[in-house]
Amino acid sequence: MFNGCPGSKTADYRTKEPQGDAPATKAASQLRQWPIQLHLVSPVAPYYEGADVLLTADCVAYALGNFHADCLKGKSLAIACPKLDSGQEVYYKKIRSWIEDAKINTLTIMIMQVPCCSGLLRLAEKAAGDADRKIPIKYSVVDVHGEILKEEWL
Amino acid sequence: MEHYLNKGIKDIILEFPETGSILNEYNISCVSCNVGTCLLKDVVEVHNLPFEEEQALMLRIAKVIYPDRQVKVPRVERKVPAVAGEIKYSPPMRSLVDEHSVIKRVLALIPGILEDLNVSREDDKKLVLDVIDFIRTYADRYHHAKEEDILFKAFDEDLEIVKSMHEEHRIGRGHVQAVLAALETGDNRSIRKHLTAYRQLLTGHIKKEDEILYPWMDRNLSLSQVGELFARFAETDKKFSDTASRQKEFIRSLEEKFACEEVTANV
Repeated sequence: MFNGCPGSKTADYRTKEPQGDAPATKAASQLRQWPIQLHLVSPVAPYYEGADVLLTADCVAYALGNFHADCLKGKSLAIACPKLDSGQEVYYKKIRSWIEDAKINTLTIMIMQVPCCSGLLRLAEKAAGDADRKIPIKYSVVDVHGEILKEEWL
Repeated sequence: MEHYLNKGIKDIILEFPETGSILNEYNISCVSCNVGTCLLKDVVEVHNLPFEEEQALMLRIAKVIYPDRQVKVPRVERKVPAVAGEIKYSPPMRSLVDEHSVIKRVLALIPGILEDLNVSREDDKKLVLDVIDFIRTYADRYHHAKEEDILFKAFDEDLEIVKSMHEEHRIGRGHVQAVLAALETGDNRSIRKHLTAYRQLLTGHIKKEDEILYPWMDRNLSLSQVGELFARFAETDKKFSDTASRQKEFIRSLEEKFACEEVTANV
């Protein structure tokens, strides 16, 4: 019996029926920038200015089969892991700087359903709450099978 | 059926009155609408009925219009699929709904204000002028201006649903003009008539916007548009911050006054 962190619990879905067909043509990447890791990006990089920014937990893009077309298209991106990344006070400052300095248009946060992932949402909520400027913030919770369980405005 | 899908709903109800009762059964209140120029296809789309309910409604309407014919019921095209459940507004729409709550507090006080109104008394005349000032500055210049100058412009303004909202704003302004004219001549009856009509109009108008129009608009706005609306609303809020806080203070004082009078009357 596993009694540890649900985020680290081993699960094997190899017997699961594949959902839908693989795309007949190569799916185009919707990534419009580099870098993407939150420690590496500058919050005032030109691709964040006035942008619709997507901040996702690292695992989200692997769980969602259609991440590029459904979630990333038209947005500027940053990724982070609230469980493993160190120096998250820097993340707080960067999210705040997105809102105050880069004057981003909206912020969308995508996290996995595992409890430790909600730290990213709380961090973004705190940074946005402390920021002088306000913007609409949306969040989605994704399950390990690639379904969006919840999608709401903060 | 295609012909009727593109016809104004009031005209259809006039031609086939039973369709009004059918729409009522689905909580679609076109019968009591002040304008009624929305097309049947738009009415079906904006009310966000689940597919099965939409088909059942359209079938019943088709049977009324063509009682002797088998009519194929067309599916009304939607840009965004229907979403069931509780309404969840985007932040800019939420701010408009919150402003509606403020306006509704004044609408709720109107019957009490009108009860013993006699504008030959200076206090009563000032009270009516203060209510009109609220309607003109908060409801009209602040809130309706956000809708007309910003929100509606994000949509095709030739859509009947948008035109009908403009029309209701125009009718509301007409009632305000009539109240001011009646104040000049001291015509208490006309003041009562137009403030009551304004209250009825706005009560229905707000319900339509909160429950039908804003959720439909939210379903059709892109994320970028939501951000842009939010930023532009924030600019308007900044511009009108003194007005908004002054008017909220006015409502509080009005609520105290009329609540006190009600209590006194009940003793």
